[in-house]
Amino acid sequence: MGTFDGLNVGLSALYAQRRAIDVTGQNIANVNTDGYSRQRVNTVADAGPSTPALFSRADGTGRGVRSVDVIRTRDDFLETRAHQEHASSAYLGQLQTVMGRIELGFAEPSDIGLAAQMADFWAGWDDVGLNPSDPAARSQLLERATTLASGFQQLDSTLAGLGASSVEQLQATIAEVNATAGRIAELNGTIRTAVSSGLSPNDLMDQRDLLVLQLSDQVGATARPGADGAIDVYVGAMAIVRSSSVEELAVEVTADAVTGEPQVDVVWKDDRLDATVGGRSKALIETHNVIIPDQRDAIAGVADELRAVVNGVHMAGYDEAGVGGIEFFVGVAGQLTVNSDIVDNPSLIAASGVPGGKVDGGNARKMAEQIGPDTSYRDVVVQLGVESQTITRRTQMQQTITDQLDAERESVSGVNIDEEMTNLVAFQHAYSAAARFVTTVDEMLDTLIRMV
Amino acid sequence: MSLRITQKSLTLTTSKNLQVNLSEMQRLQDQLSSGKLISKPSDSPTGTVSALKLRADLRRGEQLERNANDSIAWLSAADSTMFEGLSVFSRVRNLALQGMNASSGPEAREALAVEIEGLREHMIGVANTKHLGRPLFGGTTGTDQAFDPNGTYIGDDGAIERTVMDGLTVQVNVTGEQVFGTNGSNVFDVLTDIVDSLRNDPSALNANLEALDERAVAFRSAHAQVGARYNQVEAMRERTESARLNSKNALAEVESIDLPATIMELKLQEVAYQAALSATARVIQPSLLDFLR
Repeated sequence: MGTFDGLNVGLSALYAQRRAIDVTGQNIANVNTDGYSRQRVNTVADAGPSTPALFSRADGTGRGVRSVDVIRTRDDFLETRAHQEHASSAYLGQLQTVMGRIELGFAEPSDIGLAAQMADFWAGWDDVGLNPSDPAARSQLLERATTLASGFQQLDSTLAGLGASSVEQLQATIAEVNATAGRIAELNGTIRTAVSSGLSPNDLMDQRDLLVLQLSDQVGATARPGADGAIDVYVGAMAIVRSSSVEELAVEVTADAVTGEPQVDVVWKDDRLDATVGGRSKALIETHNVIIPDQRDAIAGVADELRAVVNGVHMAGYDEAGVGGIEFFVGVAGQLTVNSDIVDNPSLIAASGVPGGKVDGGNARKMAEQIGPDTSYRDVVVQLGVESQTITRRTQMQQTITDQLDAERESVSGVNIDEEMTNLVAFQHAYSAAARFVTTVDEMLDTLIRMV
Repeated sequence: MSLRITQKSLTLTTSKNLQVNLSEMQRLQDQLSSGKLISKPSDSPTGTVSALKLRADLRRGEQLERNANDSIAWLSAADSTMFEGLSVFSRVRNLALQGMNASSGPEAREALAVEIEGLREHMIGVANTKHLGRPLFGGTTGTDQAFDPNGTYIGDDGAIERTVMDGLTVQVNVTGEQVFGTNGSNVFDVLTDIVDSLRNDPSALNANLEALDERAVAFRSAHAQVGARYNQVEAMRERTESARLNSKNALAEVESIDLPATIMELKLQEVAYQAALSATARVIQPSLLDFLR
């Protein structure tokens, strides 16, 4: 070992400890940063030359310390699971929101929902039955019938609105996904350059992982490590980001081959092939293609039954002039209305059960006893309640899993201030000691020089 | 594996727990302020179906009560009108008996005949009594009156029926023919015959009286029928009323909150929330920083 080597050993220690203190500072600075993984300086003892040589003076003592690199602490297995669980959480969360909105649209049980309107409608018939010659009773019945019909219309258009807004949301989500994928590709490029020039771009990687997690929420993306620190991001089996290149997604609305109803789907922009999306997008697609049409069909079923039952009874009766009844309700579910002829002329309401202009309320009484549509409507509401409850429970369960996973990830990657402070004290002491060592070597040399 | 706890995970878990506490408080306060246990179907699908069914029952019950009240109005109008008619029968009978008395001369019989003619007019008025603008005894006729001024029935034999319980209808009218007899032999024809006999042939009065008694019996039995139906409807109304009360109670049980229990629950939740808050205040505070120099 050379005379001045001691100074170098001290210097390397000062460097290494200062680097460690810097990284600790960075950790503390980012204690609350989203997606930040705590970093550690990897140091190794510098062993010095170990190759025997003719004039080598090496005595086997090391040459101090070297900081090899700065690593970020994270568990790749947990990150992969996080992608899956976050996608499930986002999917169920979105479904829960939609079911909640549908339930709001039904507004049951209450005194204002369709069930109450239907009960009022039947009661209106009874009132006409009590007083078939009273125009006030007839107008009241027409008023209630119009309210009921518009109640069906309103519910249907509320549901249709939910379906339409889910397409808008899907379009916004996919636009965001494309932008995020672009950012990831950019970061991939930067990180590759940094890695190949020997740097540790940990902070950029953290940013990129956070973006991938966003993609998991939105389209159920998963990530696989690529070369030189880059990652490939997959949606289904296809890569949306491969190194620095991006395959964009697009929203496509087509007509169903059988029913002709519009069906929304997410496709790859280039080849228009189906993309197997997950996460929130999957929920939005299901909302538009399955959930909303199902509910609208169910309501249409009730409206059809109502129309059939009411028209059936109505056409078997006789109006005020004793002429056979005409259709009372017209139009399918979304456009159910009271026959405009009857609205214009309430005496056309077939309250009488006998022909020939009698003041009879037999048919109106018979109408008031119909309960079929009410029962069907209750079935629809209960079915909705059960589905919504199931989704809510699944969401809660999934949320627990996701929360726990996030806690585990935080436990691995998060910054603990106590720990950082302890490290800081340790590094500070090490730095002081290294400085003291340099002083000692200095004094040694001083002694040596003064001897001369 | 024991979790390594960091300040951030501590903050996250704590705020998540506070959130859970707070949302539970909100749920309870919602229930308290609305008084409802079920505000949407998914709160309890089975409860919702019961609530919907009971509400429908309630509304149906209200309507049935209205029907019963309307029936009672019809029947009591018929009852009091027929009560008035009964007195006419006994008065006419008295007058006819006076006419049969050998001591009464033609002048006296003429006076009796005139009085009976007046009573006949009165009886036609009774028979044309209206309820809610419709002739009480006219069946389902669209005409304004049940009998024309000659005492001929111009109504029909239509039944006016009311549903007073599900599956049970009651006829609330009696037709003019049931009460006053068929055209040709109805009360008014009998009265005309009596007037005729008084003026022309007192010996026929005996047969006339028999015919009158026959009509009086039919009239009384129609009256009794009205009374019986009145009682039936009244009983049905009481049953409907008590059924409605039962539905109301059942609905409250399904849908409404148990107030004391909910208040207790809210209080407990408040305590839990405050405990969580003060614990949070203590937990978040200290770190090693507080103890270094």
